[in-house]
Amino acid sequence: MKNLLIHGVVAGLLSGIAGIIFLNIYIEAFGVDYSQIINIGSIMGSSIIGCMLMTLGYAALEKFNKQNLQGWLNILIAVLSFASIIGPIGMSLPLDIEFPEMFPGLVVPMHFFPALAFFAIYPFFKQVKS
Amino acid sequence: MTQVKFLGMIAVIIFFSAFTVNNSMSWQIAEGYSIKFAGTDAEGIFKTMSGDIQFDENNLDASSFSTSIDVASINTGNGMKNKHAVSPKWFDAEAYPAITFNSSKFAKSDTGYEVTGTLEIHGTKKEVSIPFTFSDNTFTGKFSVNRMDFGVGTMKGMSKKVSNEINLEISVPVTK
Repeated sequence: MKNLLIHGVVAGLLSGIAGIIFLNIYIEAFGVDYSQIINIGSIMGSSIIGCMLMTLGYAALEKFNKQNLQGWLNILIAVLSFASIIGPIGMSLPLDIEFPEMFPGLVVPMHFFPALAFFAIYPFFKQVKS
Repeated sequence: MTQVKFLGMIAVIIFFSAFTVNNSMSWQIAEGYSIKFAGTDAEGIFKTMSGDIQFDENNLDASSFSTSIDVASINTGNGMKNKHAVSPKWFDAEAYPAITFNSSKFAKSDTGYEVTGTLEIHGTKKEVSIPFTFSDNTFTGKFSVNRMDFGVGTMKGMSKKVSNEINLEISVPVTK
């Protein structure tokens, strides 16, 4: 259980770092400014929350000894990550923000970072556990 | 000869006084104007406008507004909605790039003034009356239009979610 928790926190931090790097690249490349809506704190916070929710799912499988359902849980995580992109696509930004059409291009990829980080480092934590 | 000079001077004075009157009525649109619209499921601003404003509180008969709003400057805060708004389904910015208003009559009202004129949206002209105030060198007006009167959008499918009645709030600071 402790390993799972560390797994979630590390994945959240990695996802947050990836999000911040992507934010800086995007801002530099396109000269947009969405700092009113998205910043380092919100990226880091939402990444950690996302990964902790995944940890919760994995912990539930472990607690009820249903590890055989892990594949389905992974699919559910992927589907939920995909479904969550509706949020930024449908979001209306404050009217003083320029180029709202470029906002989804920044945020949509970020919605996949938590799952990507969580799945990417999963084998390391599984190895430690076994 | 003296009489000719005198008449000449009067003519010059009259000629320049005409410019003085004209100058006192003429206003330039300043930075910081806003054109907001709001209805059910439709809210935003138009970012660009231009126009010729002649206004004198003491000479309403000679006042006139001739303004044009750039349809493509619409901003709803959502890129997808912006694209949709300028498409042929709504404003059709390519065919009708401007929303125009040309005044024909001014009148004083209890709260300020009222201007009547022709509003053209989406190629459809309609006479409308717009109540407005003028203070601190800023024109402010609130009124509403029925989008269906101008053929903007339809009442089918998802477009049905947008109310017919769209409220407009306009604030235009001006300078001499």
